[in-house]
Amino acid sequence: MTAAAFLPWLVVAMIAVAVVQIARRLFLWRRGKPATVDWLAGLKALPSRYLVDVHHVVDRDRSASKMHVPTAGGLVLASSLLVLGLVPAIAGSRAYWALVALAFLVMSAGVGLEARRRYPRALPRLSLGQWQRFPVLLGLFAGGGLLTSLLAALGNPLPALSFLTLIATATGGLALASTAATGPMRHALAGAAHLVAHPRPDRFGGGRSTGLRPLDLSVETPWSEKRREEPFEEEGPQKLGVETPSDFAWTRLLAFDACVQCGRCEAACPAFAAGQPLSPKHLIADLAAATAGGHVRPYAGQPYPNARETIGAAGLHAPIIAPDGMVHPDTLWSCTTCRACVEECPMMIEHVDAIVDLRRFQTLELGAVPLKAEEPLANFRGCDEPNGRALKERTDFAAGLALPRIADKGEADVLLWLGQAAYDLRGQRTLKALIQTLKSAGVDFAVLGDEERDCGDLARRLGDEATFQRLARANIAALSRYGFKRILTADPHALHVIRNEYPAFGGHYEVIHHTAFLAELVAAKRLAPAPLTGRAVTYHDPCYLGRYQGEVEAPRDLLDALGLERREMARSGKRSMCCGGGGGAPATDIPGDTRIPDIRMGQAMDTGARTVAVACPQCTAMLEGVTGERPEVKDVAELLWEALQAGERTNGPAVRELEPA
Amino acid sequence: MIANAEALLKPLTIKGLTIRNRVMSTSHAPSYGKDGKPQERYQLYHEEKAKGGIGLTMFGGSSSVSVDSPAAPWNQISVADDGVVPFFREFSDRIHRHGAKLMIQLTHMGRRTKWDTEHWIPVKSASATREPASRAIAKALEQEEIDRIVADFAAAARRCKEGGLDGCEISAAHGHLVDQFWSPHSNHRSDKYGGSLENRMRFGIEVLSAMREAVGDDYVIGMRMSGDEMLKGGLSHEDCVTIASEYASRGLVDFLNIIGGQARDHIAHAVSLPNMSFPVAPFLPLPSAIKREVDVPIFHAQRVTDLATGARAVAEGHVDMIAMTRAHIADPHLVKKLSEGRADDIRQCVGAGYCIDRIYVGGDALCIQNAATGREATMPHVIDKAPAAKKAVVVGGGVGGLEAARVLAERGHQVTLFEKSDRLGGQINVASKATWREALSGIPRWLVAQVQKLGVDIRLGTEAGEAEIAALSPDIVVVATGGLPQKGEAKGFEHAVTTWDVLEGRSEPSGTVLLYDEIGGHNAASTAEVLARRGCLVEMATHDRMIGEEIGPTNQPVHLRELYKLGVLMTPNSELIEIYPEGNRLIAALRNTMTDAEEERVVDAVVVDYGTLPVDGLHFALKDKARNKGLTDLQAMIDGRPQPAEMNGAVAEGGYTLYRIGDAVAGRNIHAAIYDALRLCKDL
Repeated sequence: MTAAAFLPWLVVAMIAVAVVQIARRLFLWRRGKPATVDWLAGLKALPSRYLVDVHHVVDRDRSASKMHVPTAGGLVLASSLLVLGLVPAIAGSRAYWALVALAFLVMSAGVGLEARRRYPRALPRLSLGQWQRFPVLLGLFAGGGLLTSLLAALGNPLPALSFLTLIATATGGLALASTAATGPMRHALAGAAHLVAHPRPDRFGGGRSTGLRPLDLSVETPWSEKRREEPFEEEGPQKLGVETPSDFAWTRLLAFDACVQCGRCEAACPAFAAGQPLSPKHLIADLAAATAGGHVRPYAGQPYPNARETIGAAGLHAPIIAPDGMVHPDTLWSCTTCRACVEECPMMIEHVDAIVDLRRFQTLELGAVPLKAEEPLANFRGCDEPNGRALKERTDFAAGLALPRIADKGEADVLLWLGQAAYDLRGQRTLKALIQTLKSAGVDFAVLGDEERDCGDLARRLGDEATFQRLARANIAALSRYGFKRILTADPHALHVIRNEYPAFGGHYEVIHHTAFLAELVAAKRLAPAPLTGRAVTYHDPCYLGRYQGEVEAPRDLLDALGLERREMARSGKRSMCCGGGGGAPATDIPGDTRIPDIRMGQAMDTGARTVAVACPQCTAMLEGVTGERPEVKDVAELLWEALQAGERTNGPAVRELEPA
Repeated sequence: MIANAEALLKPLTIKGLTIRNRVMSTSHAPSYGKDGKPQERYQLYHEEKAKGGIGLTMFGGSSSVSVDSPAAPWNQISVADDGVVPFFREFSDRIHRHGAKLMIQLTHMGRRTKWDTEHWIPVKSASATREPASRAIAKALEQEEIDRIVADFAAAARRCKEGGLDGCEISAAHGHLVDQFWSPHSNHRSDKYGGSLENRMRFGIEVLSAMREAVGDDYVIGMRMSGDEMLKGGLSHEDCVTIASEYASRGLVDFLNIIGGQARDHIAHAVSLPNMSFPVAPFLPLPSAIKREVDVPIFHAQRVTDLATGARAVAEGHVDMIAMTRAHIADPHLVKKLSEGRADDIRQCVGAGYCIDRIYVGGDALCIQNAATGREATMPHVIDKAPAAKKAVVVGGGVGGLEAARVLAERGHQVTLFEKSDRLGGQINVASKATWREALSGIPRWLVAQVQKLGVDIRLGTEAGEAEIAALSPDIVVVATGGLPQKGEAKGFEHAVTTWDVLEGRSEPSGTVLLYDEIGGHNAASTAEVLARRGCLVEMATHDRMIGEEIGPTNQPVHLRELYKLGVLMTPNSELIEIYPEGNRLIAALRNTMTDAEEERVVDAVVVDYGTLPVDGLHFALKDKARNKGLTDLQAMIDGRPQPAEMNGAVAEGGYTLYRIGDAVAGRNIHAAIYDALRLCKDL
């Protein structure tokens, strides 16, 4: 018997070991909450999800895609070929072994490329530990397999050597198989299963849905009260949000296991960059480790910046965010919900939704929100508005603009959703520019006036689902009283919530962002802006517009239409960096080494542009809060209005002589 | 951002009328009326404030409702006939376009006006009394005349409503007919209009009731009144609170516009229009006290020069609307700048009183520091960019040079500003050293901040000569080198020092000082105050008929009050003819200009003020090389047209054009220098 003849059996053994391992993990996943999964559709979509969506993300780091395609492809090919080798007739063919050797060669090449990413020094975002050892095991398997099969193809000239190479192959292969559920190899099956059973399936193909499911708030006695009364009662009302790993839907537990700790999320995370104690990679690794239980945290990536002390006790039924738990609350509250991690994740993990699920439990069951976030939440309860101001004061800023109210008109083409900016002096400037522009274009629009409540974005991101649902229902009730074709808003947060999160409560609206709307008006020649030439501008994509909605073109078209010299920041479009204003981060205010908007403004200044164009009141506030010398911050609507006024001046009767006098 | 800005930017609703914010301008008389109508100039002046974001602008201070309250003084508005209504319509449309509201003040001035104007009708009052300020003896009103005037008020209110104005107020302040009835000082009647306060209030009640009847309950009518006449025998604060409560509780008024003091004589008038010698918002406690007693919104003006003070007054609940009338004359875009986060760009009123002082000597209201105000038809408040960027040199960092540099930089030109001394501000740096005149320093402070922000290349401690200018190869050179004081031509003038020497510390006289003033402006009067405060025994002599003859009526009484308090001896009608030393003292000879009698004074120092003569050496050194020979085309300048030597829209070949502005041409004043600069540079 030649050494090569053992290779098919090795693969069989590896599969057997892996199956046992994975079955145990499968059992663990099933301890999560049930989830509705359309298996058939998921399976059907798997090839395209993998080959298009995943590959698209992986390929942003060319060294990763170059490494992964041959490694994974070689592994799958070699293993499949070897299974065929169980048929003796095939195993006897030297051509067959040459083919196997070729497959191992491909894999070896991939492993070589992978090793170059890690040796002599790994990229900082990559994890070490078993992840650093991973290419060694792969290399043993691939290299050993290559030599063994090559010797078989050459007619087994050196039998002793081929047994040595077989041992190397078996060592690597069995080591990989035995950690198929706990080690790096886990990503393969978990990743594929995650793609099939993805909790937000319509993100594939560009869907812009929310991953947040409305909580059922109908229970009479909340879980937390019930637990106080009967601490040992297993059965009872479902708790709100996620306390322990078992509170996650099982598809989420599966997703955590898909993580390859590539650290792309970490490199993109604004909180991490600012030295706040959040790394999405670390958090997902913690959640995966917590699911498996135990104090052991074999995490070998960069620590949370300025990491807060935690004990690290964990288990499927142990609180994750707890004094002795795995994750410190500051980590949870550092997130701006910007989805940069989600955008960068090659495994399509939804970090932000997990964070909001964890926040929900903290807020709704424990009332454990950061000190400064208590105020907006309390104000929401009393005033439907985070700063405690009267709803009727929302239109105060526009007292001189004769702002039409829909209650007076009954219906209008466009319902203008003012949002939180209407209470803020800076935001008011943008809204005034927008309102005046709408008027000069003759748009039939109106506002809700004092019937507009806060859209609920902040409440929901802070985990106060009860307040969010109340606000959403109240707004939907108000909106349902009037006729309009579209909702127009200058606030991407309101846009996302009304467009994507209100449908779950029966509110289905066509919502358009002001940049898209204004671009329509300019394209239709209903507005005639004069060129603002001689001015360089860089556009900062709001996360809730660019990443959440995929809308990156309209604001740029508008700026181009104004004749501005547009310069792009290194991070822009869907891969733009957050201003630090989302997810209630300004309210939770977790200290770091620096401030997110300072970093972002630095990136803007690197372009040399004198103006940063923005399209979100949060971004405006955060970027304008940057002290010292910096470019001016102008909403796209303000720039358009400036151009319209310039147009009026040059076309109006007051034009002065330009000829020699 | 100022504190409490949000309080200022909240709308106020009075009846059905929503005013977009809490900042207003009170009715005043800028003397822009023409034929008794608010015509283009008047409307443009207010439109600029509307563009600038003001909530409510009120015009037509003391607009007359009757023929025996003539509109001619201060070129006022007559609402006594229907001819004014079309002008009101045009005016209110103009203001409403920008989202602001427009109201007028209606009044019968009673005895506080002149009889020798268009109709030559005696002035009227509650009783036959004379007001020192207006110098007219009044005829006591008879019942039939009272009824007629009440009807005139009603008709005028109807005209306001027909003209689309958002409301009106009656003036019962500054000693107009309504408060002439109120005040025991001017009402000695024994009929139902005199005696008790109840009777004295009757006329005003009849006026407002008739107006109400004419325009209906939903039309906004307010009243301007004093919160305390601060006059012996006049209305006390308690009287004013009683009147305010009575009128408000009867539903006669929808707002009260409260002032402090009255205006029956020179000093009272000056106090009621507080200049820079007063603290900011000196009378705020009066409207605040009345607000405690009444349910209608309270307005208040009187030296609220900055938004922070205004915001505090509103936020703390002292007033509902803060009136910043003179502050809007200095910068009509106050509110816009606040809401755009550009509060630092606000040109703040310094309280010089130049605007109002001009009215009382027959002029039109002009701002000492903003030459565009009142000239909106020709002068821009916002400077447009020039079609082509040029290189400009401005020589001299006084206010004229600073304004020139500012306007040229706003035009988009590349500007270099030379200043010989180590500090910008020019003569204002001298003037502001004199006691309460310190606030003048606000004028260059704003200009300096603007030119710095606009990136003007400022070269301090650098005297610009031909070589320095040639090195920059400019397209435009503006010479704003200002003037220097002279010592006059009296025999022995070399023994004198100038007011500048005193204020700048080159001379520190002690003992007995003769201050001789041939100009009659602030310079000598404020220097006399400085010397007297330092302990000198000061005699101030002048060729004029009185001390400070050139100083306007809201400032001169303050100077006189201070000089009297300090024991300064004031000797008008005297000319300085000779100075000679005797021992270690000086003999100054004065000649009485009326009798030619001569007197001598033995003094320790003689300080003189003869004004300035131009510093024009540089101008003449450059003149022949300039394309325009240094000549400014006067007609183009007057018309607000570009200078003929300029190629607008292109950079001309062949050297520079040269212009001379301000005191470098002839010693005048701050406004003249700034206006020279603006009207020239806005087209360069």
